[in-house]
Amino acid sequence: MDLAFTPEELAFREQTRAWVRDNLPKDISDKVRNSIHLTRDDMQRWAKILGQKGWLGWGWPKEFGGPGWNAIQKHLFEEETALAGAPRIVPFGPVMVAPVIMAFGTPEQQKRFLPGIASGEVWWSQGYSEPGSGSDLASLKTRAERRGDKYLVNGQKAWTTLGQFGDWIFCLVRTSNEGKPQTGISFLLIDMKSPGITVRPIITMDGAHEVNEVFFDNVEVPADQLIGEENKGWNYAKFLLAHERTNIADVNRAKRELERVKRIAKAEGVWDDQRFRDQIALLEVDVVALEMMVLRVLSAEKSGKQSLDVAGLLKIRGSEIQQRYSELMMLAAGPATVPLRADLVAAGWQPDQDAGAFVAPLAGTYFNMRKTTIYGGSNEVQRNIVAQTVLGS
Amino acid sequence: MDFDFTDDQEMLRDSVRRWVERGYDFERRRGIVKAGGFSRDAWKEIADLGICGLQVPEAQGGLGLGAVDAMVVMEELGRGIVVEPYAAVALVATSLLEAGHEAAAAPRLQHIGEGKEIVVLAHEERHSRYRLAHVETKAHGSGHAWRLSGRKIAVPAGGVANAFIVTARVRGAVDDADGVGIFLVSPGQPGVEVEAYPMQDGSSGADLVLNEAAAIELVAPGATFAALERAVDIGIAALCAEAVGAMDKLVAITVEYMNTRKQFGVAIATFQALRHRVADVKMQLELARSMSYFATLKLGEEPAARRRALAQAKVQLGNSMRFVGQQCIQMHGGIGVTDEYAAGHYFKRLTVIEMTFGDTLFQLGEVSRRMQTTAGVFA
Repeated sequence: MDLAFTPEELAFREQTRAWVRDNLPKDISDKVRNSIHLTRDDMQRWAKILGQKGWLGWGWPKEFGGPGWNAIQKHLFEEETALAGAPRIVPFGPVMVAPVIMAFGTPEQQKRFLPGIASGEVWWSQGYSEPGSGSDLASLKTRAERRGDKYLVNGQKAWTTLGQFGDWIFCLVRTSNEGKPQTGISFLLIDMKSPGITVRPIITMDGAHEVNEVFFDNVEVPADQLIGEENKGWNYAKFLLAHERTNIADVNRAKRELERVKRIAKAEGVWDDQRFRDQIALLEVDVVALEMMVLRVLSAEKSGKQSLDVAGLLKIRGSEIQQRYSELMMLAAGPATVPLRADLVAAGWQPDQDAGAFVAPLAGTYFNMRKTTIYGGSNEVQRNIVAQTVLGS
Repeated sequence: MDFDFTDDQEMLRDSVRRWVERGYDFERRRGIVKAGGFSRDAWKEIADLGICGLQVPEAQGGLGLGAVDAMVVMEELGRGIVVEPYAAVALVATSLLEAGHEAAAAPRLQHIGEGKEIVVLAHEERHSRYRLAHVETKAHGSGHAWRLSGRKIAVPAGGVANAFIVTARVRGAVDDADGVGIFLVSPGQPGVEVEAYPMQDGSSGADLVLNEAAAIELVAPGATFAALERAVDIGIAALCAEAVGAMDKLVAITVEYMNTRKQFGVAIATFQALRHRVADVKMQLELARSMSYFATLKLGEEPAARRRALAQAKVQLGNSMRFVGQQCIQMHGGIGVTDEYAAGHYFKRLTVIEMTFGDTLFQLGEVSRRMQTTAGVFA
């Protein structure tokens, strides 16, 4: 048992750190550090920079053009990019659909779709949830009917994150009503420029346009865009959910944001208020404990000796911590966060602003972060899964 | 970075676990608790496992093993809520003796390793409340001839100890860290009174009342407080590991009960209100295990980083122990609060662990005071 990274791992970290320092545009990291909304161009610019280096698919094996890193290297990459203030990589392409295409796609599909994901040229969205299917995802109703060499898709997806930017969308669609709901679902890749697709914004309570409704009205999808077998889509979706286990905790971003909590608390004068400071101290303990739990999972993956089933715990804890740091930042600035200053948020951090923290986005971020315990399988669903593991049924 | 145990550590774990499961079952423990909370026979069996000298230097006949080995042993002793004072003697006292004058310490270390002597730290006082520097017990003298006066409370296994390591004020105000001395006191001498009693967790304890008691200096002035802090941090890591073992077992007992106990015609494990509670318990258990590892792996750091890490760990463990303990009792219903059933005994031990070497609020104060700009496992 040893906490220390190996010399090779440390060297890897140094190389990654240097590369990020030299390649991450400062205007983008300034936005990230002050929780200012990123434009499509901001996100795409960073994605393409990573893509050129071959690191956008940082979790990919070498045979598909990825760097072939082990669990520790992936973690160090995530840590270095997060601490440097890089945007989270939009996961739908490189983290979510790509591993499914690698595992279950045909060689033609792999050749057709993976390069655009790896380079950052093609923006992918995720079509899972529907208005009537949230936690009970398997009840989804969007239908795909086979018509010769095409599927005809009708229905509606909801909560499609950044779907307004999407070039392609991977969807779970119903191809059968026989048997259990899970056994009639298929996994389709759909060009979002197809006739019959309408994307409508859903404005969230922070005023942001981050999620969308996507309507499918007699959308024709070539049958060669079906992944794997018809009616086996649920298995592929489960594979996808199991794929990124530690990433979901986002502990590296939590470390960066905890530093920011401290900066804001100091600037706002509550750092010396023992009651407030103790709340930061509690969050610090939470962050260290989460990081240790993540490292335990990584170590188990690296050695392959012991299996650790704590993925559900990582999601629950990571999301709670995200909410807590956004909450503490807002509370640190207190009344200064009450004015709704969209103008200041849009203008971003100005050097001539008062010596305090940039407080304009803090309340909006807090409101926005309520999503974290709801998306990706609500924390209540995660608790069901954890309980099943512990209780054995 | 790896969290695997070596083959030797797995063997160590197996041998302690086997003894706890076969040799220290709940009925035997109940008998020991009834008889005062310490069994000579059980202590001999622990010594026969070869672990009393786990951290005694090889020069004194010990194994000279490390923090992870101690963690492994403590997890297993925790599973059986063993009341004998293993950590107090083999880890905490051993650490202080190692920091002490060789002439005084070496024979003690050897005897500890052989399982022949119980040596324990007597530090806590009625008004010290976890503050290590707060020592009212007074010492006067010089060289080897010292006299101590004062009262120490909740001394582990005080009634059966062969020697006490006593903190006493050599000079300075009541909370002056530099004025704390560390001495060795033997029982059965004039001015040494031991008022033994059982502790809330079933172990044995005592007040140590000193009235101009003869003592010898153990640790040289100037090094005392650092040695005390280090020994207590070693104790904290040991308690964290013990708590993980105890919680592991308590959760297993609870899960088994939930799958057997029927109400409204079904196993209570089917109720979602309880299932989500179980998930929250599992969360606290795994966070605690993670921070127990953290505590042990940070023991070798320089003092400031070590103290910060151990305080963080004790905060997590304190919150986890209280939650897991309380909820596991709750999920049992009535049977959980009975003396007959094991769960309550685990709960009581977890409660006492929280109140040993600094409770959650005390350690949170430490974390708060010691926070830096950056945070994280490697900060």
